Amino acid sequence: MSTNNPFEIARQQIDACAQILKLESHVHEFLRNPMFEVHVSFPVRMDDGSTKIFQGFRVQYNDAKGPTKGGIRFHPEETIDTVRALAAWMTWKCALVDLPLGGGKGGVICNAKEMSKAELERLSRGYIRSVYQFIGPDKDVPAPDVYTNPAIMAWMMDEYSKIAGKNKFGVITGKPICLGGSLGRGDATARGGMYTIREAAKVLGLELKGATIAIQGFGNAGNYAASLARDLFGCKIVAVCDSKGGAYCQQGIDHDGVCQFKAETSSVVDCPKTERISNEDLLEMDVDILIPAALENVITEKNAPNIKAKIVAELSNGPTTPEADEILHEKGIHVIPDFLCNAGGVTVSYFEMVQNLYMYAWDEATVHERLDKKMTLAYHSVLKTSKSLGINMRKAAYVVAVQRVVEAMKLRGWV
Amino acid sequence: MDENKSISGRPDESFVSTGFPAIDEVIDRLRMGDNVVWQVDEVENYSILARRFAKTALDEGRKLIYIRFAPHPLILKPRENLLTIKVDSAQGFDSFSTQVNTIIEQQGPGAFYVFDNLSALVEDWATDQLLANFFQVTCPYLWEMDTVAYFALTRGKHSHVAVARIRDTTQVLIDVYRIAGNLYIHPLKVLGRYSSQMFLPHRFSNQSMSPIFQSGEASEVLARASRQPLRRKADSSVPWEAVYKKLSRVEEAELVSPELAQEVGALKQEFCRMLLGDSPRFNFLADKYLSLNDLFAIRNRMIGSGRIGGKAAGMIVARKILLEAHGEMDFGRLLEQHDSFFIGSDVFFSFLVNNDLFRLRMRLTRSSQISDEEFRQVEERFLAGKFSPEILGQVQDMLDYFGQAPIIVRSSSLLEDGFGNAFAGKYRSEFCANQGRPEQRMEAFLNAVKLVYASAVNPDALAYRKQRGLGESDEQMAILVQRVSGFRYKNFFFPQLAGVAFSHNLYRWTDRIDSAQGLVRLVFGLGTRAVNRVGGDYPRMIAISHPDLRQETGSQIAAYSQRRVDLLDLDSNAFCTKPFADIAADGDYPGLHLFVSSIENDFVQDPVGILVGRLKHPVLTFNNLLGQTDFVRALKEATAELERVYGYPVDTEFTAFVGPQGNIRINLLQCRPMRLPGAKFNDTQVSWPSRQESVLFRAGRMIPGGVIDRIRYIIFVDPDAYSQKASLNEKKSLGRVVGSINRHPALQENRAMLMGPGRWGSSNISLGVNTSYADINNVSALVEIALESAGHVPELSYGTHFFLDLVESHIIYLPVYPDDPAADFNFSFFEKAPNSLGQILPEYLPYANFVKLIDVPALTGNRFVTIIADAQSQKAVCFLEEDAAPDKE
Repeated sequence: MSTNNPFEIARQQIDACAQILKLESHVHEFLRNPMFEVHVSFPVRMDDGSTKIFQGFRVQYNDAKGPTKGGIRFHPEETIDTVRALAAWMTWKCALVDLPLGGGKGGVICNAKEMSKAELERLSRGYIRSVYQFIGPDKDVPAPDVYTNPAIMAWMMDEYSKIAGKNKFGVITGKPICLGGSLGRGDATARGGMYTIREAAKVLGLELKGATIAIQGFGNAGNYAASLARDLFGCKIVAVCDSKGGAYCQQGIDHDGVCQFKAETSSVVDCPKTERISNEDLLEMDVDILIPAALENVITEKNAPNIKAKIVAELSNGPTTPEADEILHEKGIHVIPDFLCNAGGVTVSYFEMVQNLYMYAWDEATVHERLDKKMTLAYHSVLKTSKSLGINMRKAAYVVAVQRVVEAMKLRGWV
Repeated sequence: MDENKSISGRPDESFVSTGFPAIDEVIDRLRMGDNVVWQVDEVENYSILARRFAKTALDEGRKLIYIRFAPHPLILKPRENLLTIKVDSAQGFDSFSTQVNTIIEQQGPGAFYVFDNLSALVEDWATDQLLANFFQVTCPYLWEMDTVAYFALTRGKHSHVAVARIRDTTQVLIDVYRIAGNLYIHPLKVLGRYSSQMFLPHRFSNQSMSPIFQSGEASEVLARASRQPLRRKADSSVPWEAVYKKLSRVEEAELVSPELAQEVGALKQEFCRMLLGDSPRFNFLADKYLSLNDLFAIRNRMIGSGRIGGKAAGMIVARKILLEAHGEMDFGRLLEQHDSFFIGSDVFFSFLVNNDLFRLRMRLTRSSQISDEEFRQVEERFLAGKFSPEILGQVQDMLDYFGQAPIIVRSSSLLEDGFGNAFAGKYRSEFCANQGRPEQRMEAFLNAVKLVYASAVNPDALAYRKQRGLGESDEQMAILVQRVSGFRYKNFFFPQLAGVAFSHNLYRWTDRIDSAQGLVRLVFGLGTRAVNRVGGDYPRMIAISHPDLRQETGSQIAAYSQRRVDLLDLDSNAFCTKPFADIAADGDYPGLHLFVSSIENDFVQDPVGILVGRLKHPVLTFNNLLGQTDFVRALKEATAELERVYGYPVDTEFTAFVGPQGNIRINLLQCRPMRLPGAKFNDTQVSWPSRQESVLFRAGRMIPGGVIDRIRYIIFVDPDAYSQKASLNEKKSLGRVVGSINRHPALQENRAMLMGPGRWGSSNISLGVNTSYADINNVSALVEIALESAGHVPELSYGTHFFLDLVESHIIYLPVYPDDPAADFNFSFFEKAPNSLGQILPEYLPYANFVKLIDVPALTGNRFVTIIADAQSQKAVCFLEEDAAPDKE
């Protein structure tokens, strides 16, 4: 049964996983609901002197493996079910990379675009005052998400520290570097994805030097992916696209040239020395690696049969529909599922927590080295499970993650 | 005279020092044969310069002769080796000239001379024509004898004609003036020598000459130094000269009886009409705010005669309004002084008549169409035209005044910028980087003027005139010559900030914004990027009520920011556009920390203090300018005050400069009444649609007010087809196709609505169909469609010339977001409607996949389309009229 409610989708995924793992019903039932959620309502003084009341949420889905971790969204159409679903997904992502963390998420219903900087600061501080008693470096550690940014994290950390009466940098991640933010955070998602691609290539016997790559989406993640694939492995990026269409060059696209062109025209389309292609054509190109890095549900049962890439590395969230997933699996296309492929971001967030707790700042090379270790281990856990259970990589990833959470719950004597 | 004598092949000893290394450096030293005229306010300043020259000459063992004839104190005191020869000037011109020429002959070649102040001769001779005659006979002889001679003139004591004759004869003419304790040296003529800063005024001290390149300081210094910068014949037959003379006599009399005051008042009004025009609404403001001295200042800075035009008049009156305001801001300190010149409207007619262009203009004004090719030929004819010697002389004076400071030649037609007619961007403005030798600068300036004149008959202007019913009306082109604001940075010249400021905000994208407070469209560099619609590059839109609100967040801020800067390249002597990143690369541009932020991984960081060196990806946000200075407060008060006095919302152009202490200086370049959309339709009684199925689309953002009914045609450019299927060439051609439909008689006789992807009028065709005003001027509504799948975003074009055209022509502009369910976009109506393009323009059938012409009544059984837009509720709906009405067309 299809649904648009994200929390229902998250529950269906847990149900499928419970079936594979043959979880006891009470364990399954426990995993279908957040362990803790709080709804808050708080006043904010606006610039014109008026006072406006805002609603917010914080959901701690499961903290069996450690303090919960997950972003705070400022969105005018925020709902509790979206926050619950995102908190569940954070639980599985953290477990998959084997971080000592659970999953959480938060949100405030507001239109950040219509608020001044001063109003946003008061809103951020107001939210922290409201949830202060429920968060903390050893309880629940928020991070930036939709319409929140390092500046907002800095205000939130400061408000928490003021109430606590001491500096508590570890209460929040994604902070500016000079306030305890971690180096290597900017390209962490793409870089983590690259490490999983490298491991997949080894398994498939694919030579990465000169391997062809098509990247769907040229935002932050897609852009970093293009430059890292070139710099780390010597891959050849033959096609990129954005919402307005794509650019193709068999000899390899000049990354710097595309970046410059996009900055000037807001699109990669008609970039010099490239041919124009459609977004649909890009997905079906004969390349070694396809990296979806933009929208959801772009690989569907319609185009999945035409996908020719050997590896599909899902840098974006949910690019492949469940039906397409099965088709790719049957075709023998190696899919690196989204919450494995893009787990580099939360991993470096965790590193930020660690650095804050130890009051130490790692250099970039250390961050990269540790990220590599985490991603490589996670990839091979998933691959091993996929092979041993004969299930596709996505299901295997769920199984690995849920199994780790359940194991923690059991050891703690909860279930 | 062989002009090259002094620069061609002379040995090093031909170079002569003024005694001041700093002056030598600026004028590239003196040459044997130079006659050097110093134009001074006080003879003491001449003494300083002459004494050092004399000392150096004597130290070098030169023969030096001091020609003594004036009653003022000695310029050079007696000393060893100095030969002082007294000459009696009381005997008259003939005797004096003979005596001096005899001395030159006796002293032989290579002697140096210092003369007393020549202005003293006028005391004895009573006419400065004889003084000029003396100079004209003596100077060439001194040159032939390979001498160097110093002369002085007292500024303002002689007729412009006499000074002009001296200027033409001498090799070196240098203005010297003292203002606020500082001595300024301003070379006006240095024959055969050139450097990029030679003709700028320089602040002078013994050790250094600092060129005054910052426009605000230059205008302040020069306007004070030179109150009557243009030569004018004493027997001038300019029409207002008689009134001017009467008024100047009254001013000198000072004691004014009540009767006289009344007469003066009437004369002043008459003078004002003669200079500014006869629009009753505007003259009311001019009479109230302009003093007699203000009018005299206009007259003193006018080349030729006639009126100064709407743009110039608007600028002058608006400045005065602000200077007399009693608000919180001190506009006396805030406003930069203007030192603009005007070319009177009579000069335009004389130019047409003398160059056989009058009949051509008449023919073009009457005919409705002119092709671009025809217009290029017209421009060539204008460029070949000549000006009278009298005008050229005044232009020469003006160019001497500006030196090498960049200037802009702006159209200021009589109808321009008045109540109801903006002519925004219709007529040309031409930058003159103003570098090069005087004759090159003169040629470039005259070409600029001719191009502005030719623009009076450009296709866009003719279409606009016809649309506004002004086809045959009297349109005279005056010209406003303004100093370009800014200062030199590397080899570029540009203002730090420029933009347009409106007293009323039509760009109200959230209901938090107060429309009654204004809007600023701000750019870094020249303001051309703020007044024109530039594809893919965005000025900062500042809601005065909420300056730090913006629609974009994170990396979108970088995408929707200004990335290119318009500036003047002084090396290539031309207008150019450069990436902002290049300008910001060294991080040492003054005030940069106020304009940029760094955006990395979606995180916007504003510089701390003045340190910008660490910014990895500088993006123009102006965040610190808005947060740390009075910039917005100043513009808020200025626009509010101008609206209050005008009794109408206003639209202004400005540049701004932020000093080292964060102090703001604003240069108000233009002010005109702002046109609000839809006003024409506000009284119409129309009902909102009652049936959902009648609705074609709804819009809910940035809605102007107004109603348009009985729309027969819809020109629909399919956004998906445009984005996905149209080739580059097809996209380029679509503007022409739309233009042809727009000009078709069927469209002129019936109302039409134009719908298409992204931004109309953008020069970047991937963002929208490239059209000019002449391509869309017959439609009643312009709809910009933002279809997510096609990736098009309507640009908020408010503030551009294109937008102003729409507003004034009562063309309603609506951005529509079909993916938004609230838009109720009737996809099937537009998809299924048959295409009538082949019926009216069969030659464009190949474009039928992209452009659909929908004849609505033919399709719907005589139903027409109506648009209702309500600015208050920010809602607009476009729907099929619900009761079929008889065809009244």
